[in-house]
Amino acid sequence: MARIELVNLHKSFGAVPAVKNLSMEIEDGEFVVFVGPSGCGKTTTLRMIAGFEDPTSGEIRIGGRVVNDLEPRDRGLGMVFQSHALFPHKNVAQNIEFGLRMKKVPQAERVKRVQDVAEMVRITHLLGKMPGQCSGGESQRIALARTLVTNPSTFLLDEPLSSLDAKLRRELRAECDRLHQALNRTFIYVTHDQEEAMTLADRIVVMRAGEVEQVGSPMEIYANPVSYFVADFFGSPSMNLVAGDIVQGDAGARFRSVSFDVALPGRFKDVKPGAATLGIRPEHVGVGRNGGAPQAASLPVRLVEPLGRDTLLYFDAGSERAFVAISEGLAMADVQVGASLALSFDPERLHLFGANGRRLGPQYA
Amino acid sequence: MAMTKTQRRRVSSTVRYVILTVWALMAAFPIYWMVATSFKPDTQWFSWPPVYFPHPPTLANYMNVWFGAQQYAQTQYAISSQKPFVSLWNSTVIASTSTFLSVLFGSILAYGVSRYRILSEARMFQLLMLRMIPPIVVVAPLSLYYSALGLLDTRLGLIMVYFLTTLPYAVWMTKSFIDEVPLEVEQAAEILGASRWRTIFEVVLPLIRSGLVATFLFILILTWSEYLLALILTKTQVSTLPIELSKYQGSTEGRVYGRQAALAVGITIPLMFVGLIIRKHLARGFSFGMVRR
Repeated sequence: MARIELVNLHKSFGAVPAVKNLSMEIEDGEFVVFVGPSGCGKTTTLRMIAGFEDPTSGEIRIGGRVVNDLEPRDRGLGMVFQSHALFPHKNVAQNIEFGLRMKKVPQAERVKRVQDVAEMVRITHLLGKMPGQCSGGESQRIALARTLVTNPSTFLLDEPLSSLDAKLRRELRAECDRLHQALNRTFIYVTHDQEEAMTLADRIVVMRAGEVEQVGSPMEIYANPVSYFVADFFGSPSMNLVAGDIVQGDAGARFRSVSFDVALPGRFKDVKPGAATLGIRPEHVGVGRNGGAPQAASLPVRLVEPLGRDTLLYFDAGSERAFVAISEGLAMADVQVGASLALSFDPERLHLFGANGRRLGPQYA
Repeated sequence: MAMTKTQRRRVSSTVRYVILTVWALMAAFPIYWMVATSFKPDTQWFSWPPVYFPHPPTLANYMNVWFGAQQYAQTQYAISSQKPFVSLWNSTVIASTSTFLSVLFGSILAYGVSRYRILSEARMFQLLMLRMIPPIVVVAPLSLYYSALGLLDTRLGLIMVYFLTTLPYAVWMTKSFIDEVPLEVEQAAEILGASRWRTIFEVVLPLIRSGLVATFLFILILTWSEYLLALILTKTQVSTLPIELSKYQGSTEGRVYGRQAALAVGITIPLMFVGLIIRKHLARGFSFGMVRR
């Protein structure tokens, strides 16, 4: 059993707090991804679970047992590092074998288990090589194998793919997913890449400045961001966020900015007037050549990116950041830069964030 | 007429080589002179014009200095009272023991500094500042201590003083090598089940081996050729090679260049030999970035 509980976990480096009062449970077999910009405390949290950092206060429990005073090697965990951290003076087989040797596994069994795990991550052809002769992707597979072979209850992965190029990243991401399915172990994965978080996680923990901003499944986080920060962080291209004001009129609440004047749907009827940010994902923006209803604005096109499956349209919304809409297929690919198009918003997909960055109004069902 | 780019390059490269060649010759000449003099018969040691190539070359200096062979000793320059092999043995024992201790304790201290920050930056700097004190300043009080402690004119006394004076170098050098070992590599070993000692022996030491060897040689050179402390802290019982070397000039004999050169060559060869054996490590050790990140 490897249910991991973090209880009021706090960590400061000198006077600087890195993680503030973090409490959460990670279920056995769950794939949890900690995500956030650099310096948000996600790696520090992982290193506290691993035992490389001592919490300033709070408790870490693994399988119900408080492990604060246990050495890393006694916690039954496996860790894959950002830098791979292979032993440069040992060949690949010796690298993988290391953990088994430390646990005094007999020689014959060691050889077999190294062979098995090498097959599992498809690196049998590398066993005789030195780490220095292996590519980045191969090194990461070796690091995975070295951790896998010791059969830990929980895998800790600290930005394991960040040093690889995009194609390898996708490939190894799928590999991580496959391993999680096959092993049914707990995975705790740290990344700053929202796409990795979205594709891998059962549950995402979004961190910001040492605090948990939101915890939820990838779809929850995508559909119901609790704050401007989360809304902005997830999605590619990211959510359109427009600064403006909420005004209450006879016909209900409206959102007004330099370029937009949008009637807010009924669920926002209780929001207070004042400065706010309107958010809408590019895929929820309707674009019409001849003005579709309900019309939110008419904006000039700044850039057209035909991607084949769909077309990205960038509009000038009076701010530095372009307003983006996705149009399916290539119907809009021939739009001229400078032409004005009518935009309409799916009212059910509007998000509002207050001046403090928190969500206004109820969340979606 | 203006030169083309290619011509300019050729000229500047020629000038560079000429300067470097002259410099190399100037640096190598004293070594050549030492070796040449050691093979010269006594009439050519300080003849004018100077003799650049000993003719005929003779082994007399070597036979006399190292083996006390009287038949080679022209009466005037006969040196037979010294015992160079005893000095060689003293030097070997004193230099290697103090260097070994220095690297051993220096690297342990450096590991603590690198991984546990047991010394602040300021303390590390102060440690190095110890070496800024000219030895001659402390040598008189030190000899008083040594005399009181009965360490004057003993091997142990010299080993102790060499060990302590070279320790700052050892700490600084080995620390730079330990810093090169990524912390994550150690932590990987740790989480795979290795104890702290196991991690040091299986991971850290093999990775910094070349650095340790380079540090060892560097400090060995310092202790092997140290003169001042040895001169003051020893008398008749314990003599090291540099002390021995200084005895070949006296008020009665004048400067006994050939003999001295023969001894000097003998002092130089062991160090060169050590350097040759470990040259693979030296090349790697002195090019710091030895650990692939």
